[in-house]
Amino acid sequence: MSEIGTDEPQGHAPPEPDETGFSGIIEEHQRHVYSLALRLTGNAAAADDITQETFISAWKHRKGFRGESSLKTWLLRIAANKARSYWRWKKLRAWVGLGPREPDGEAPSLEELLPDDPAGRPEQAAAAAELERRVQAAISALPRCQGEVAALRAQGVKVAEVAEILGMAEGTVKAHWFEARKKLETALGEYL
Amino acid sequence: MKDEDKEDRLLSLLAARRSDAFWAGQKARIMAARSEIRGIARAWLLAPAAIALVMAFALTRAPRHEPAAEPQAVTVAFLENLDMLDDMDVLEAVPEEEL
Repeated sequence: MSEIGTDEPQGHAPPEPDETGFSGIIEEHQRHVYSLALRLTGNAAAADDITQETFISAWKHRKGFRGESSLKTWLLRIAANKARSYWRWKKLRAWVGLGPREPDGEAPSLEELLPDDPAGRPEQAAAAAELERRVQAAISALPRCQGEVAALRAQGVKVAEVAEILGMAEGTVKAHWFEARKKLETALGEYL
Repeated sequence: MKDEDKEDRLLSLLAARRSDAFWAGQKARIMAARSEIRGIARAWLLAPAAIALVMAFALTRAPRHEPAAEPQAVTVAFLENLDMLDDMDVLEAVPEEEL
C-alpha cells in the first residue's frame, strides 16, 4: 500500500494513490466510514451512499490532502460532514412538506447481516439483527453531539482527533463521551 | 470487568457488522463510480482538440471574402466624371488653346 494509506499523520503531501493503492485504501477504511455513517444517520441505504460519496470525494480532492492528519481522520471528517448534510437535507425536505423519501431508521437487509459461513445462519442472523437494532436505537436516542462523539470513538478515533474532526475542544469531547457512555452502558448493559 | 475493558467492549458493540460479501460489493461499487468519473474526465481532456478540429473545419469551409469589386470603383469614378458634364458650360467657355 502507498504511504497515503498509513494511519499516522505524514506532515507532507503523500503520493497519489494508483489503482491498487486506492483499492487498498477502500479496503482498509470502508468499515470505519460506513459504521460512522450508519450510526450518524441510522439508515443503511444513506450510510452506503455516504460511504461511496466519501471515497469519491477523497479521490477527487486527493491533492488537497496534505497529510497533516491521518488518512483515516480525513476520511471520517468527510463522512461526518456528509452525514450532517444528510440531516440538513432531511430537515429541508420536511420543511417544504415533501416528507421523508425513505422510512427513518431503515434497517440493513438480512442478506447484509448474514455471516458468510452458512452454518448457524438463522440464529446468528437473528441475533445480529437484534443487536443492530438495539445499538442503533441507543445511539439515535443520544443528543446529536454525544452521538457524533460516540460514533467516532467507536471507530477507534482518539479524543484529540474527534475534537479535530468535529471542531470541538478536547474537554468538550471528553464531557460528551462521558455522558454518552453512561447512557449507552445503561441501554446495552446486557451485552457488556 | 475493568473500566477500560468495559469501554472497549462498548466501542466494539457500536461497530457495524456486515458480511464479507457486503464489503466486497460496496468496494466494487466505489471503484466503478471512480472509473466513471475518470472516463468523464478523460472525455473532457479531448474537448480542446475537438474544438480546434471544429474551428479548423469551419475556417476551411467558410466562403472567402473577395476584395471590393473593381468595377464598382470605376463606376463611382465614371459618375464623378458625369457630374463634370454639369460644368460643360464652363468648359465650352474655355478657349480651345487653353484646354
